[in-house]
Amino acid sequence: MSGPFDEPEGNWWDEPVNRRESMWLGIAGFWSLAIFGWMSGFTRFGDQNPIGQTYDVEPEEYQAVVGEYKDAADETEEGHLIPPGDSVYIGGRRFGWDGLPVVLEAGREYDIHLGSYDVQHGFSVRPEENLSKQINLQVFPGSEWVIPMTFDEPGRYHVICNEFCGRGHNTMHGEFLVEEA
Amino acid sequence: MSVLANVLGLFDGEYDDDGFRECSVTGLSIHRSAETYVKLFGLTAVIALVIGGIFAFNVAMTRWELVGLLPEDGYYTHLSMHAWNILIFWMVFMEIAILYVGGPIVLGRRLEATILAKAGWLVMIAGAIGVNYSIWTATDTGAQEAPLLTAYVPLEVSAEFYATAVVFLLGATIAALPFFITIWKEKRGDAAKTLPLVAFGAFITGIIAVEAILGGIAAFSYALAWRLGIIASVDAGIYRQLYWIVGHGSQQINLLAMITVWYFLTHVVGGAVVISEKVSRSAFILYLFFINLGAAHHLMVDPGVSAGWRIFNTSYAFYGAAFASMIHAFAIPAGLEAGRRRRGLGGGLFGWLTSAPWKNPVFSATIFSIILFGFAGGITGVLMGQMQLNMTWHNTFATVGHFHGTVAVGTTLAFIGLVFFVIKTMFRRDFVSGRLATIVPYFYAGAMGIVVLMMMYIGILYGVPRRISGVVRDIPGTEFSLSAAAPLMNIFGVFAVLAILGGVLFVVVAVGSLLFGDRIENGDGGGMLPDGGLQTDGGTSVHAADLRGTFGICLIFMATFVALYVLNWFLLTQLWSIGA
Repeated sequence: MSGPFDEPEGNWWDEPVNRRESMWLGIAGFWSLAIFGWMSGFTRFGDQNPIGQTYDVEPEEYQAVVGEYKDAADETEEGHLIPPGDSVYIGGRRFGWDGLPVVLEAGREYDIHLGSYDVQHGFSVRPEENLSKQINLQVFPGSEWVIPMTFDEPGRYHVICNEFCGRGHNTMHGEFLVEEA
Repeated sequence: MSVLANVLGLFDGEYDDDGFRECSVTGLSIHRSAETYVKLFGLTAVIALVIGGIFAFNVAMTRWELVGLLPEDGYYTHLSMHAWNILIFWMVFMEIAILYVGGPIVLGRRLEATILAKAGWLVMIAGAIGVNYSIWTATDTGAQEAPLLTAYVPLEVSAEFYATAVVFLLGATIAALPFFITIWKEKRGDAAKTLPLVAFGAFITGIIAVEAILGGIAAFSYALAWRLGIIASVDAGIYRQLYWIVGHGSQQINLLAMITVWYFLTHVVGGAVVISEKVSRSAFILYLFFINLGAAHHLMVDPGVSAGWRIFNTSYAFYGAAFASMIHAFAIPAGLEAGRRRRGLGGGLFGWLTSAPWKNPVFSATIFSIILFGFAGGITGVLMGQMQLNMTWHNTFATVGHFHGTVAVGTTLAFIGLVFFVIKTMFRRDFVSGRLATIVPYFYAGAMGIVVLMMMYIGILYGVPRRISGVVRDIPGTEFSLSAAAPLMNIFGVFAVLAILGGVLFVVVAVGSLLFGDRIENGDGGGMLPDGGLQTDGGTSVHAADLRGTFGICLIFMATFVALYVLNWFLLTQLWSIGA
């Protein structure tokens, strides 16, 4: 039996492998392929995938697009936006989410457009009554990322920033107000 | 005076006329040149650990909002100091020392080109001081931000920071050269010769380190060129891709160095053997090809990268590297089981383990490192590296839990064991208190293990972000907060204090032993050797050894892995519909 400091003797490549180690290789190898298959397959049959079209757009242009969208949107009495169509535009900036709060209909699919006016931000969303149902997406200056989302449950969804964007980062907050259609 | 004499005597050793001495524990032939630089880089690493550890306290006590030690303004500076000193400086200085052990010392050669080792050390020190200075002064003018670990563009991070980070990485490259020259000289004489497993592991570690460092130099140079106005604009996505070559690549150096140390220490203090050269070496080769692809898991929820690119890379190409880790997860305990059963140490399913030298802190630190790395760091790494699950982990406190599972209870604990081992075998000093030394791994692993669990719960169950001074008690400007996480934060805070005390205890024992420990005479093993000595001859061959204890442990590991996998996916499918 050799130790890890010894130069292995003879034809060590052809030494037989212990039976239990062979079994473990089989189990671990199968598991590796299985979790790859599941991750890949879920993009086809699953409902939660961080996938959407990305467009290159300068931060100033994106800010202008969000501005036009806001002009076209209706407002509730509290000043919350009601999107004019199926597209919802959100711009991260220090230290707030431009375009939020917004009022959405439960069960309706919206295209959520994400972009930044300055530095990187983290788009982090959760419903108020269940904090463990949360998701996080990275937001860049220079990119417009369009992620479709359908909020099934009505309620108040809070958006905070989870990428360090400068001192003041912890004050970033916005809301989705999802109402029964 | 005696303290000073002891400090000056730290680099002493009784060498023969050719500069060699025989290690009374490992039997290795050690040259003065290699030993001197192992000591130098190791001691420097411990200094970085102390600095980073002090900031760990400040960071943890700010996140524990009941204490709320620092205001938001200072928090990010302290967080950056903690990250760079522990995650980069403590680790990389240790890893250079490990390369010098795994190369020249294991091969019984002198360290070649020691002038490069010295130059590398000096450049690394200059870079490390520069990085620390630029972090500490970052917010002085008000126009700039602390860099954190990542210095993501286009945040206003100082040009000095990027420049000194490049200097440090260049220094590490220079310091790695003597190792590669030594390996080259070894192989030049006889190219067909096989390197011992530890030297082979160190060699693969070295290659992966160079890949990581080149990525880092590219990323920081790109950002530096933009800060200096040489290029007009900078692309956040490109920087992130370049950055994570070193950002995660550096952690892959930790992983490989740690696994090499596991093979090393389980052998010398536990009596482990290599159960299959072929399988263990193949696992290192899998790392070589696939592990750096895994850096892509930092880009799972980024815009602009296709799903196919993300799925291929984050899976390390079909989990080639995760498979390799599972191979080591079997091979290392199995080596211990086979070696100890052969010595007749312990029968039954786990007798080989229960009869092991649990009072030897080198042994207990190594074993806790293996177990906690696997269960806490390894499993969660694969979970959060799945593209869809990443949406629920990304930038939450659970991510911090993952990398404290890998780096704090995995790598740091293994390196604590290694420092203790080096104190005994290279500095030739006895522990200033054997009892305190024995306690260190239990104390630190226990407390830090709970800290890691709390970080994961807080992140996954309450969605608390990382890198933020406070959102649990109050988010300024709104009624909303993540206050439901406060009770778990209290547990986190208490155990973070205990874990840091465990770290303090380690430093006290290590430095105390160097300064005041009795000298160990030549030929004395210092209580490090396994029962029955290091070498065993004859008996059954390894492939026929009984490995059912290890197999049982690995099945428990796999069951845990599957259960956590299913649980995470179940939670994900409870979410609203997201994505095209």
